[in-house]
Amino acid sequence: MTPTPDRRISRRHLLGFGLGTAAAGLLAGCAVPGSTNVNRAALIPAAAGGEKIELVYWAWLKDLQKVCDIWNAKNPNVQVQANWIPGGNSGGYQKMYSALAAGGGPDIGQVELRQIPEFMLANGLVDLARYGAKDVQDRYDEAAWAQVEFVDGVYGIPQDTGPMGFYYQTAILEQAGGEPPKTWDEWRGLAEKVRSTGRQNYLEVFPVSDASPFTAYASQAGAKWFGIDGDEWVVDMTDDKTLMVAEFFDGVIDDDLVDTSAGAYSPGWYAAAASGKIAAVTSASWGDALIQSVQGGEGKWEVAPMQTWGDTGFGSSAIGGSTAAVLANSKHPKEALEFITWMTTSKEGVDAMIKYCGIGWSPAKDYIGAQREQPSEWFSGQNYNEEVFVPAAKEQNVDWSWSPVTQSALNSLQNQFRRKLTSGLKLVDAVELAQREVVQAFKDKGLGVRTAR
Amino acid sequence: MSTNTPGFRTSTKATSAQKRAPWILLAPFLALFVLTFIIPIISALFQSFTTVDRQGLFGEDGVVGRFAGFDNYVTALQDAGFTASIGRMLLFGIVQVPVMIIACTILALLLESASARWPGFFRALYFMPYGVPGVIATILWSFLYVPGLSPIVALLQSWGFAPDFLGAGSVLWSIANIVTWTYTGYNMLIIVAQLKSIPGEVYEAAKMDGAGPFQVAWRIQIPLIAPALVLTTVFSIIGTLQLFAEPQILSTVAPAIDTEYTPNYAAYTNAFAFNEYGVASAQAVIIALAAFILSFAFLALTNRPPKNERDQKKRAKRDGLEARRALQTRGTSATGSRPATGVANRSTTTGAAPRLQSDSKGAEA
Repeated sequence: MTPTPDRRISRRHLLGFGLGTAAAGLLAGCAVPGSTNVNRAALIPAAAGGEKIELVYWAWLKDLQKVCDIWNAKNPNVQVQANWIPGGNSGGYQKMYSALAAGGGPDIGQVELRQIPEFMLANGLVDLARYGAKDVQDRYDEAAWAQVEFVDGVYGIPQDTGPMGFYYQTAILEQAGGEPPKTWDEWRGLAEKVRSTGRQNYLEVFPVSDASPFTAYASQAGAKWFGIDGDEWVVDMTDDKTLMVAEFFDGVIDDDLVDTSAGAYSPGWYAAAASGKIAAVTSASWGDALIQSVQGGEGKWEVAPMQTWGDTGFGSSAIGGSTAAVLANSKHPKEALEFITWMTTSKEGVDAMIKYCGIGWSPAKDYIGAQREQPSEWFSGQNYNEEVFVPAAKEQNVDWSWSPVTQSALNSLQNQFRRKLTSGLKLVDAVELAQREVVQAFKDKGLGVRTAR
Repeated sequence: MSTNTPGFRTSTKATSAQKRAPWILLAPFLALFVLTFIIPIISALFQSFTTVDRQGLFGEDGVVGRFAGFDNYVTALQDAGFTASIGRMLLFGIVQVPVMIIACTILALLLESASARWPGFFRALYFMPYGVPGVIATILWSFLYVPGLSPIVALLQSWGFAPDFLGAGSVLWSIANIVTWTYTGYNMLIIVAQLKSIPGEVYEAAKMDGAGPFQVAWRIQIPLIAPALVLTTVFSIIGTLQLFAEPQILSTVAPAIDTEYTPNYAAYTNAFAFNEYGVASAQAVIIALAAFILSFAFLALTNRPPKNERDQKKRAKRDGLEARRALQTRGTSATGSRPATGVANRSTTTGAAPRLQSDSKGAEA
């Protein structure tokens, strides 16, 4: 074969050309997403009277449309449409982030309390204080509100929270000769008693792969991991309170008083709870629905107030909880806020959210929902919501706030906690190591940061 | 290429249509390929060199993207968890890939042996796990690993063992078990296809020479399916580095699996949990490079000429060197410039000589 000169555009030329244009297009279109701040722009006025508008709400609550329909029937001019998205970090947030980056997205999005600052980092949330959110502040639980407020702005409206209590199997505690603990020290004593009833019997699990319970315990003790000082973030994960909690659980794990093999509500946990190998769980109010899936558990469980750290800290703590936040590209933030306020504080709204969506604890200050004012047959006829969770919702660490690196902070903690099992690292040291990673995460985001000590 | 040869040209018009035809036919593929493959790769490469600066507590006072050089790569490689995950995958690959390749070769040989019963049925049976999506397979297997749910664990416990399939030291091999279960049947099918392409005369000749079933397998089938073995091994190496779904699903029941357990899991965490697209892209590029290097190293290793040929080359080289030395010693005593060309010629001829010899031997036989 003789090499003949070839003047056509060769395949290689064409490919090179294609790549070149693609790269050029990318470079040109590569303004950093989330670099425009909607909260510096002019206020968007309310829709003119008689104008018909539609709001879109992205959430992973089931049957949310049924709640919206109640509103829609009464507000013909502001129709709300609910679209289901996957839950938070399982895909919902990614969907919202990419919609925001593309300049679109819904008017309202479900954002967890802990995730609010990360959405702010993407300039993805409307400051609702500019649309009158502070006028409705007194209708919400103080602790929930504290987590949506940053530097005078309000970036989401709490729609459910998770005050904590102590769920336990009455028969097992009786058999072990113990009572629901008032303090964590009593809790430890109870754990020892339950442990002595059988080789595989434990009072509770302590999940090393989920830092949320540990975070809640530290917050209960009075820790405040993230603070703001002027233009700078202050990270304080090695304070006395946190180290006390870490040391406590170091001892508990070293003495084999908790099961560390998996977290609560995992398949193994359900099996163990059903066969009586797990006696109790310190968990949020929304745990009630999950515990009701324990096979043959009806009438065997009760709920007690959460054990405390003695004379320091607070009566209870919280895990989870989410907000309805108005996303940056909404055309009607004022109407969106009106709808959210109705949904989260009116009797109709709260009852419908509980009935159809099965939300966690309602953050409305004066109303817990008709269904929750009744005693529960499953929980041994106990009226646990009024007995335990109404006071728990008021005994919270109101100074606690999350940060723009919450996810990586929890991840760092989890990765370090796992080393307790894999290489015997102490939780006390794990917290310290995690703090270093958290500070680095702030720096990687290009934010100013320092440690408190 | 054949379109270029002048003999086929009847008119210029026909040729230009001929030139256009393949592009038109390729267009749908190329469009999707560029859109979903080339552009994301370029975008990831580009992102791996960028980072973001923020003003204010939440970037509310300005967000600026900038070129970061190799900063993201440094961050990725300084992350002990990420480098540990690469080491973990190497260990995984060194153990799991050979086990799987040997298992699927044995299965394929058994199915293609003369005495196999219902080969079609068993082929389908062995292939079946591949039809189960990886996520579902992992969930199914996790029920067999979790104490309190698993009948296997219960049985072993009743015999006095205390198995811990999800412990820090064992969970990697529990994952290897799932991967092997899923892909052995698939790789077996590739090998079976290659076995089927061996012409019947070869078997007949072997039978005439008195080869038993084991000798047929060892001396005929295995050498002839070598290309399929290479292919499946390369796929398995790449698959190992891309391991993601299995550890991610198992992490809910195995506390030892962290969010940087495998390189891909680490990149996923950075991108979608931390919104650190720069570092995540850098990690993805590093994974791709590692897969590239490992695959090519393996190909280079297996594509070497057979051992006797290599020996001959070595011998030839040695002969050449000796000859050169001999010439040089002679050259220093004689004129200075001439030996250079002489050496070159001499060495090539001596190099070719042994091979010619062996070729003629082969022809005689």
